[in-house]
Amino acid sequence: MVVAGKGGVGSSTVAAAVALAAARDGADVLFISVDGRPGMGPLLGGREINDREQTLQRLDGGGKIRARTIPADQAFGDYLELKGVGGLLRRAASAASLPMIAAATPGLEHLLVLGKVKELEKDGRADLIVVDAPPAGHAAPFLRSASGLSDVVKSGPVLDQAREVSEMLADPQRCAALLVALPEETPITEVIELANDLGDDLGIALLPLVVNACWPDRTGLAKTPAMAARSHKLKLTDTAKTALESAAAFGRSRLEQQREQLDRLADERSEHVITLPRLATPRIDGDDLVELADALVEQGATKTPDADSEGADR
Amino acid sequence: MSAAEQRSEPRVDGSLDDVIRNSELILTCGPGGVGKTTTAAALGVAAARAGRKTVVVTVDPARRLADALGLDGSVEADEPHRVKGVTKRTTDGELWALMLDAEQTFDRLVREQAGSRKQADAVLNNPVYQAISGSLSGAQEYMAVERLHQLHVSGDWDLVIVDTPPSRHAIDLLEAPDRLVGFLSHPVYRTLTVGQRTFAKITDAASSMFLWAVKRLAGPQIVEDTIEFFRSLANIEGGLRRRAKEVSRLLRGDLTSFVVVSSPRAEAVGEAEHLLDAIHEKGFPLGGLVVNLIHPLPIELSDDDVELLADLGDGPLADHLGWHRELTHLAQAERHEIQTLEKLAADATVIELPLLDVDIHDVPGLVDLADRLV
Repeated sequence: MVVAGKGGVGSSTVAAAVALAAARDGADVLFISVDGRPGMGPLLGGREINDREQTLQRLDGGGKIRARTIPADQAFGDYLELKGVGGLLRRAASAASLPMIAAATPGLEHLLVLGKVKELEKDGRADLIVVDAPPAGHAAPFLRSASGLSDVVKSGPVLDQAREVSEMLADPQRCAALLVALPEETPITEVIELANDLGDDLGIALLPLVVNACWPDRTGLAKTPAMAARSHKLKLTDTAKTALESAAAFGRSRLEQQREQLDRLADERSEHVITLPRLATPRIDGDDLVELADALVEQGATKTPDADSEGADR
Repeated sequence: MSAAEQRSEPRVDGSLDDVIRNSELILTCGPGGVGKTTTAAALGVAAARAGRKTVVVTVDPARRLADALGLDGSVEADEPHRVKGVTKRTTDGELWALMLDAEQTFDRLVREQAGSRKQADAVLNNPVYQAISGSLSGAQEYMAVERLHQLHVSGDWDLVIVDTPPSRHAIDLLEAPDRLVGFLSHPVYRTLTVGQRTFAKITDAASSMFLWAVKRLAGPQIVEDTIEFFRSLANIEGGLRRRAKEVSRLLRGDLTSFVVVSSPRAEAVGEAEHLLDAIHEKGFPLGGLVVNLIHPLPIELSDDDVELLADLGDGPLADHLGWHRELTHLAQAERHEIQTLEKLAADATVIELPLLDVDIHDVPGLVDLADRLV
């Protein structure tokens, strides 16, 4: 499963919550952080993630979460070894160093990383592989690298690799994408574009769309504090009215914007939409992650569009 | 504005007025999703209204912001366009906007540095060049600063503002020119471009291994194209190298200001800290720090009121109370996160901006933000 979203929408956190939800359910989960952003290992109950696979957390019920990053140069070495490329070529490759080869074959670094994911998937080394895709503008080029390379490279193992990666991405039994947004205008517009791009153009199966950090709908805010107090048979002091209204004014406008944007997403895309609660903290910790995992399970985030297959990347 | 609203505004420490009046180059940088492009555009608005002829270079603006800047799909990329509705008074300068096109910038760089049209065409028509000019890792970052240099030396502008590409490792941008020099100095690159006339004559071990590796991995055609590309690049290499050094010097000069933009969320703060450290360490001039998207801090409830409102049960007032408590908690936690950033900013101006009710996507919104920044 590939989890992707524009920068700042919390897609890494959502990826971690998905990994936790699956592991609690007894699955052996491999969490792959493509760019190795700091903090993800501790969030998942272990040490910082590096290029060596490590177990971050074992859960009651037999599930566990392992994690690693995939640096492009390591993926390159592994790839050569896998292809039975002998010592000479391996030495050649290291002499030339990856940047030079990558300059000659654009998109190669992304492809190598995806190729490594594909190998891990083919080996059946985990029940579920969660790939935390690169952020910002890079998710689409990352996933597009396989089809893009086929335009430049006309023969050789790189082309085969590109084909195999494209096959994996387009096979809903093996791979699906979980796209993440925020309930705000720009992120919703961008997730709609990303869904068109990855789902409709690249043919990647889309899981439900996740809208992260949604404020809980507090219907009482529609009333003024004074009116609200009357239904509790209370009379508020003026200072209490002012204090409560100072929060309520902001809350009403955020809730209104959130409703508008969720409606717009539902109009534009047919996928099921999952809303995750906004947590009242700027710093997500392990308990918060449990809360997000609960919400994901409750709303069926890990079901693929194809009802028979379980999760993705099996 | 009511007293209540004023109370919930985050603190505004200073102003970037000095930066927009005295710099000739401003780079906004920071993590993704914190309003970097909007901040760059608003600084442009402020500078234009302060009488300067300003151009804002953006990479990937959200669509409605692009529309506000007159950069919708119909305009040509890489060309400056006048932004309407910003400058009305006679003392005003001008605001222009430009959408960066990494490939066109690279093309222009090649043409400028080539000794002849023929040399330039040899590079530009090479399939490998065409494939990498838009996607070579770091090319986007380097082209953003390269375009800044082109605009700066053109003499057409009082102020050039560049909104840097979104990058988790925003440091990439700062080091992009140095990386190009590193690439051109790579031993394999050197052997491939110096001396030998044909592929067959390349005898250097590392280089022939490199070519063999590329051939085995990606096929023979790309090997020929690669060699051709490196050869044709050799003609303009001196120019590229000089330019990269000039750009690197310009970024450290007195006329340049870096403005770091962050949000109060922990992961953004972490990245911004990293960036501030790098800016200090590498001697880039920091003009200011903008912390954007801060939740408003509600007015405190008095102890008496809290007591009165204990044990409410369910109901609309409980909604109010719960929301008040949650927003207060979040807003306070955010202010705590920001403190670390403030320390790192040292003497530079720090501006804290509230999370607005709506996204900014029109000129009046930018004007309003500009007023908050200066």
